[in-house]
Amino acid sequence: MGVVQTDQMVLNIGPQHPSTHGVLRLEVMTDGEIVSQIKPHLGYLHRCFEKHSENVTYEQVIPFTDRCDYLASMNSNFGYVVTMEELMEIKVSDRVEYIRVIMGELNRIASHLLALGVYGLDIGAFTPFLYMLRDRERILDMFEYTCGARLLYNYMWVGGVSHDLPKDFEKICIGFLDYFEPQIEEYNNLLTYNKIFIERTADVGVIPADVAISYGVSGPNLRGSGVNWDVRKDEPYSIYDRFEFDVPIGEGKFGTLGDCFDRYWVRMLEIKESVRILRQALKDLPSGDVHQALPKKIRPPKGSIYRRTESPRGDLGYYIISDGSPIPSRVKMRSPAFTALSCLDEVSKGWMISDVIAILGSLDIVLGEIDR
Amino acid sequence: MYKYFTNIYETVNTLWTGMRITFRHMIHIKRDNVTLQYPEERWPRPERNIGFDHKDYNVIRSRLHVDIDDCIGCLKCERVCPVDCITINTIKTPTRGEDISEVNHTGETSNGTKKAMVVSRFTIDMSECCYCNLCVYPCPEECIFMVGGPNSSKHPIDYEFSQFDRKDLIYQFAKKLTPDQKKKLESPKPEVEA
Repeated sequence: MGVVQTDQMVLNIGPQHPSTHGVLRLEVMTDGEIVSQIKPHLGYLHRCFEKHSENVTYEQVIPFTDRCDYLASMNSNFGYVVTMEELMEIKVSDRVEYIRVIMGELNRIASHLLALGVYGLDIGAFTPFLYMLRDRERILDMFEYTCGARLLYNYMWVGGVSHDLPKDFEKICIGFLDYFEPQIEEYNNLLTYNKIFIERTADVGVIPADVAISYGVSGPNLRGSGVNWDVRKDEPYSIYDRFEFDVPIGEGKFGTLGDCFDRYWVRMLEIKESVRILRQALKDLPSGDVHQALPKKIRPPKGSIYRRTESPRGDLGYYIISDGSPIPSRVKMRSPAFTALSCLDEVSKGWMISDVIAILGSLDIVLGEIDR
Repeated sequence: MYKYFTNIYETVNTLWTGMRITFRHMIHIKRDNVTLQYPEERWPRPERNIGFDHKDYNVIRSRLHVDIDDCIGCLKCERVCPVDCITINTIKTPTRGEDISEVNHTGETSNGTKKAMVVSRFTIDMSECCYCNLCVYPCPEECIFMVGGPNSSKHPIDYEFSQFDRKDLIYQFAKKLTPDQKKKLESPKPEVEA
């Protein structure tokens, strides 16, 4: 009788698995039910964003940035146009800045709602998912009202936005916020304080602060580990220095600092902060022309630039090299979800297979952005 | 032992809190219902006209349509398309602004611009279109647009344009020219020759 290897088993999760949030394949080495190593295999959604950008003009890159982080397209656009305007030294009007902040924060709420709802779905709670998608739908309706598209907007342009806000947008938005704020408490009662949910997430998948920093994890995942770092606060871009808001950080509410629950909880608190920013922005929204600073031809001077913005998933950076022609020489995107995924192997060592799903869901990855 | 019972108590308690919320929504099903029975009912389309001139551009992202009689063949939409789904071929007319009835070519657009080109081919591959709306903005004659919304008087909304064959999603907007007609148009003007 030959020797049968019983100590290690390779388990494939994905690429067509609902818990991998897209087309991601995880090669999980397991010893019994304990995970010893995870190898993520990427590239199933690779669409050559960076190479493609070298063949289209600067304004044509914007629809492609939409498709990177398709759950927060406004924030992807935002990062790109902020970088381009810095490179071309364009000063946009106050109204444009306010509109961009409003759109960015609305999209942050929408993205977090989906992240939290799907996280509940991964853990096994179906109802909160439906409730959160119901409210996300109202945000998407507002986007459709503004720019015609529901998911891939192409709304922010270099030097402005494609359309001004519709007539009674402020009223609709405030109406939504008034409706939405009590809903957060409902989500908390439904999912957050649920004992089963807490048992599944608290103390699971702890990312200590030093590990998070050394892997380059950013955004809510980093703040869940107790590191106070938010690009909006620490390196303000656009007009984020004009608003008052707190940066929620994890505090180990039901377990250890930096566990899955903390990352979930930070997102929930961030929604509240986004509502706060939205209220301030809507209150002093100035009037003006949104097409005033649009350049006739986008032809930036020779040079290169790197700027980062805070997308719902973290530090979204664009590195653009211009050779003086209307076509970019290089566009590099620094994706926050990619770095978040890189620490999965380190974090999930020693946990059960079912916990890997909980950890992966709490990192809130978007495969469109990882593969680009 | 004490922990065991508090765990059970907390689980039942928090589950009950959650169930109460769902029950409340179930009782108020008329008020809280958000589901739309799609083929029978539809969402109202937002109606807006806003853009550079605050009158003609629309923000609906649906099927692209071209009023080919208004097209002057400037190729601006073809150049701006990031996925190259628009293909335009043009032939220069003998005289600017002249009607050529045999190929159904009108000399002037509805804005009064005299046309110098016969558009012999204008195809949009809607299966490649990424609905970015970039082709709509630069058009000087406002002849390419997404149907519906403020343009619904010109063309009603159409967002259910799926087809069984991919070929049917390639829309031909220009009038078909026979090879003879093409040759005749392309031949140099007799006055120039003389």
